[in-house]
Amino acid sequence: MTADARRTIARLTTDTLPRLIERLAKSELGELEVREDGWRIRLRKPSAGVERAGAADSRAARDRPRAGASSTGAAHNDRQVMASRGPHAQQAENQRGRVTSPGVGYFVAREGVVVGFKVSSGDPLGHVDVLGVRQEVVAPINGVVASIDVEAGQAIEYGQPIARVETNVQ
Amino acid sequence: MFSKVLIANRGEIALRILRACRRLGIASVVAYSEADRDSRAVQLADEAICIGPPESRRSYLNAPALLSAALVSGCEAIHPGYGFLSEDDTFAEMTRSHGLSFIGPPPEVLERFASKAGTRTLLAKHGLPTIPGSGMLRDDSHALSEAERISYPVLIKPSAGGGGKGMRMVRSPRELQQAMTMCRSEALAAFGDDSLYLEKWLEENRHVEVQVIVDRFGNGVHVGERDCSVQRRHQKILEEAPSPALDDERREVLTDNAIRAVVAAGYENLGTLEFLLDREGNYYFIEINCRIQVEHPVTEMLSGLDLVAEQIRIAAGEPLGYGQTDVVMRGHAIEFRINAEDTAQNFQPQAGVVENYLPPGGPGVRMDSHMYSGYEVPPYYDSLLGKLVVWGPDRATAIARSLVALDELVVDGLVTNISLHRALLAHPTFLDGEFTTNLLDRVGSGAFLAASRAA
Repeated sequence: MTADARRTIARLTTDTLPRLIERLAKSELGELEVREDGWRIRLRKPSAGVERAGAADSRAARDRPRAGASSTGAAHNDRQVMASRGPHAQQAENQRGRVTSPGVGYFVAREGVVVGFKVSSGDPLGHVDVLGVRQEVVAPINGVVASIDVEAGQAIEYGQPIARVETNVQ
Repeated sequence: MFSKVLIANRGEIALRILRACRRLGIASVVAYSEADRDSRAVQLADEAICIGPPESRRSYLNAPALLSAALVSGCEAIHPGYGFLSEDDTFAEMTRSHGLSFIGPPPEVLERFASKAGTRTLLAKHGLPTIPGSGMLRDDSHALSEAERISYPVLIKPSAGGGGKGMRMVRSPRELQQAMTMCRSEALAAFGDDSLYLEKWLEENRHVEVQVIVDRFGNGVHVGERDCSVQRRHQKILEEAPSPALDDERREVLTDNAIRAVVAAGYENLGTLEFLLDREGNYYFIEINCRIQVEHPVTEMLSGLDLVAEQIRIAAGEPLGYGQTDVVMRGHAIEFRINAEDTAQNFQPQAGVVENYLPPGGPGVRMDSHMYSGYEVPPYYDSLLGKLVVWGPDRATAIARSLVALDELVVDGLVTNISLHRALLAHPTFLDGEFTTNLLDRVGSGAFLAASRAA
């Protein structure tokens, strides 16, 4: 990392970020993004707006620290600044690879789906049995199954993480 | 008795049901939408299950999700609370066909009392005077001829649901034709059913309702009446008991006739019969609510009964175990609905974070609320934040205690209607016990607020 980049990060974290956090906390907005010289800062709070925008993602939004002016919030966003070049795209891809339950019921895995299984976007990974009605669980992206978080036959709730699909990275 | 119950509702009533379950030694499973993840009921529940995204249609109105949640968690019964699926006979039937109990009337009783026009005819047969009204309206010309027969002014009402949605009072054929379309679309949006009927509109009426409890063996008691005349656009704001409009003799006639009629008509579980009272003291039955109501604590304060516990007991098949003479009503109680709404901006509902919440206390003061400091009010549901209920040995004491309690109540962070309640308590018409259902709309809530500020 160049000295230039370090200076920019220092300026963004000590100067720009606190102001942005304050502004976001006061505003009705759920998300705030600022671009500057190839750097990008994106803040997001787990508000109603976020849930409306993407219900399936709200659990993830909630797990993130609130964009309040707390030190943990700042540290978290600091990491986002660090990750804003290159790795940022990978992070977003990981988010998209999360598979959550479409309903309340029992999870039934598709035969042969194990960690390392290669899938294309839209491929079935199993289904949730809701009063005898199948609700399909599908791969959200192309890649391989990186983890399966529930056991076959397990009772699960809406939005519960079922699996994670990762894009093939060498 | 049940050992585990699914609570299929949210907000203050989810908490109220949870408390009743605890008292009865029943484990509770709270079904919640993603928007209610941080709710007080979820925090206190023995178990909590996320049933869907924030939209009610996909969570609290999603029958398969609720039933599945009850089954996977090993519940024996579902308590639907009020609103949502609480009076849905199809949901009650589905609940039973999955081997679960519905905490409310059985499906066939819900079905028998589902049609408002049908219920009026049924209870008229059992001796209740009813308000002149129409059957289900087929079209505009049918509405016009029925309105002519009943005579204007008439109230257009949706056949499904309540809460003032899809309701309009009209004074002429022209107003009727204009309002019909609007009422149909409002009713369709709120209840998924656009069928309407007409009811004679009484000027200067009061809204008085009788609480009843009937077990499955036909034992029934009434638990007195509640006066819900303080309304804005057919939405209740404040309720009290006993009604200042009834003397003891009239009260006895009304409540006795009400319980006798519903028992004879085969009602079961908790219910509320709504009546209109005209200036001359005549009463007319309008509809029955087959659920626990928002304003039930008023009756609990006077009777000492736990109505939610009674509801659960009866749904579990237990006999009532007491008679009318065992129900003793004492003193006077008033309930204030604390809503997140801006009275200055046409009562627009508010969402946001409750930065600071401090409930009031003292003798006779009860606060039923799901709020806590830091709680975020989601924008998807109704604006009810809680209910302040105040009891006194007489009406004057109840009012005096209410003023102290309202002053003590702190809800910071969003706009509430607390100031409207203070204004109501300062108004001579309310103090005289003379409030009628149209008063707030006729005078305008703005005028009430302005008058109290000037005073």
